[in-house]
Amino acid sequence: MKANRKQRLITVLLILATSATGSFLIIRALDSNLDFFFTPSEIFKEEIPNNKRIKVGGMVLEGSVLRDKTNISFVITDYQGSINVEFDGIVPDLFKEGSGVVVVGYLRDKTLVAEDVLAKHDENYMPPSIDIKN
Amino acid sequence: MLIEIAHFLSILSTGLFFICFIFSFFLNSKDIFIINLVSRIYSHSFFIFLSSFFVYVWLAISDNFSVLYIAQHSNINLPVFYKISSIWSAHEGSMFLWIIFLTTWGAVYNLFTSNDQLLKARTLGVISITSVGFLLFLLLTSNPFETILPVPPENGADINPVLQDPLLAIHPPMLYMGYVGFVIAFGQAIAFLFEGKPEIKWEKQVRSWSLASWSFLTLGIALGSWWAYYELGWGGYWFWDPVENVALMPWLTATAFVHSLSASSKSSILRIWTLLLSILVFSLSLFGAFIVRSGIIDSVHSFANDPERGLYLLAFIGLLVMVSLLLFSFRFNLLLSNKKIASLSKESFISLNNIFFGTLIFSTMLGVLYPLIYEFIYNQKISVGAPFYNAIFVPITLIACIFLYFSIDSKWQQSLNIKSLFQPLLISLTFSATIVILAFFQFSITNLWTLASLLIGSIIIMRYMIVIYFYFVYRKFTNIFSVIAHCGLGLLIISIALNDNLSSERALNIKINETEIYKDHQITLKNLRMVPGPNFDSVKADFLIENPNGKTFTLTPEKRKYFARGQVTTETAIHASFLKDIYLTIGDQLDDGSWIVNIQFNIFIRWIWFSAMMMVVAGLLLAHSLSRSRP
Repeated sequence: MKANRKQRLITVLLILATSATGSFLIIRALDSNLDFFFTPSEIFKEEIPNNKRIKVGGMVLEGSVLRDKTNISFVITDYQGSINVEFDGIVPDLFKEGSGVVVVGYLRDKTLVAEDVLAKHDENYMPPSIDIKN
Repeated sequence: MLIEIAHFLSILSTGLFFICFIFSFFLNSKDIFIINLVSRIYSHSFFIFLSSFFVYVWLAISDNFSVLYIAQHSNINLPVFYKISSIWSAHEGSMFLWIIFLTTWGAVYNLFTSNDQLLKARTLGVISITSVGFLLFLLLTSNPFETILPVPPENGADINPVLQDPLLAIHPPMLYMGYVGFVIAFGQAIAFLFEGKPEIKWEKQVRSWSLASWSFLTLGIALGSWWAYYELGWGGYWFWDPVENVALMPWLTATAFVHSLSASSKSSILRIWTLLLSILVFSLSLFGAFIVRSGIIDSVHSFANDPERGLYLLAFIGLLVMVSLLLFSFRFNLLLSNKKIASLSKESFISLNNIFFGTLIFSTMLGVLYPLIYEFIYNQKISVGAPFYNAIFVPITLIACIFLYFSIDSKWQQSLNIKSLFQPLLISLTFSATIVILAFFQFSITNLWTLASLLIGSIIIMRYMIVIYFYFVYRKFTNIFSVIAHCGLGLLIISIALNDNLSSERALNIKINETEIYKDHQITLKNLRMVPGPNFDSVKADFLIENPNGKTFTLTPEKRKYFARGQVTTETAIHASFLKDIYLTIGDQLDDGSWIVNIQFNIFIRWIWFSAMMMVVAGLLLAHSLSRSRP
């Protein structure tokens, strides 16, 4: 009986230890792979390191889109703040001036160097936390 | 008038399904008279509901824009095919389809299960009450029958152009069919728990049902991935988007479930696991519906947000899960088996497999929910990207595959004979090591994870080749379905690894009759044409591509502008060959008349879907053979 109990205790401890280590590893992996989401007005209020991948959501400012070969630059704004974006590649079909985008990229000298520019499938989509005043 | 008839039929069937539930759980369900009664009410109710759907389909075909939903999502100019598929292009209609499939599974179960089966009436009862829950959700919070009266619009608003694609017309039906198919296993499990008689072998009866739904789910996910690949123009097959993840969770759970079903249908070992998994699969399928339809998580796929819908679904799913788990804990003692799992037996490997799957499910769940929790606590929006999932999925899948390798020769309730492992190990290891060395020196792949994936993927395939050899030469018993499915897994791992490592892309800037060179391929823009389509205008660009061997072919990517919404979409052009896809999309035209073109070399990408198809075929064949061997 006693030996049995001891064995059970060991099993339970083993299970606890493995699942604790497992959860620890998973959560660590999670923490080092988060993308933070900002609006243009929030972005310069925070200290964001250069090597941190971030997402910025807002509207493409009218008249701000400039193209040079495959490079495109534009300004995204939430009508309280704005940030300049540079991207090399094809922007999605739904990308146009005055409509919503989410940009994934890294911050370099107050410019967002984009890895990816996203627009929603849905043309009625608004990026979160923006109130359009018009 | 037709609208009201369809609406009324749906309400009527809701009532009948409820009666079906009441009869099956509150009357003596062992009485053959009651079983017959329940079975009959169920079929009638199903046919009433089905006719309601058919009337709705007719309303869509005949452009009846007094129906609000049809006015919002269909259009006179659409081909009939898309008029029908527009029904499931948004929330209300797709929910309608979801319930149709839910009740259809029940109806097929009803048809093919003889009435003297103990669990039949109660299983139908569970299916009925689940249908009632969803029907109430449909009718109360997202009514597809809502009308625009008195003056209907002359034309509808059209479905989103990216959804006007044959594949997307069949992807949601397949996916839903897979999701809700697990209602049979869930219903049987609940009926079994309710009955509380451990001698009833419910596991055997649900195996083919579960395998069939698993196959549909796999097919649905694979079709969605393929559609995203060629339609969205991003060139990828999986994006770890929250909505993809909520489809992946039931799939992982279902995969673990069908594995542990095969163990518990042989003996009572692993019974508890199987029961829990059956509840979990169905709950996760419903949880997926909640995530997608409540708008709680921001995703490119999510439907319009409505908190009321989310709350209803959450309450309903919560209730269902609570009741199931309560019942489970109440009957827990009955299920305990005093048999020990023999070490290195097939059961022990399946238990290990359950643990690995559990970890993957937990991690995916965490990745989906963590942004919500984080925003709630820190008031900061975050998202969990692909690197997290890769960091978890790659190592765990590879480790699980090593165990899979050693499980191949294992037997039920017997320890594995270790000595018998060496010879096949030597052969398959030689084979896969050769492949890795070849990859390293010939294709200069240096990424360790890629090499490890190649090693493990190919060792599994080779091991199964040995199994097949023994089957043909020594007539050694082999589960051929398992061989096909697991070879699919091996191929999937190899394809994903190669695709990830070798694919490349670049954006080019090109004028008419100019030639650009990318990776020894000459790309010439020959011509631009304006071509009118049935409900859109399109610009087609003819590219001539010459590969290093001097072979030429044309690719014609396209940009479309749809009349109804003025939306612009890109149609990709793909040149598929055995090993790689050359994938071309056109972007915008610049002021100097040149075009931006994106070219991708997607290595081995077709094999990803091919391996998924191997799993689907294996699942369906096994389901078929099991259903025939049943007494």
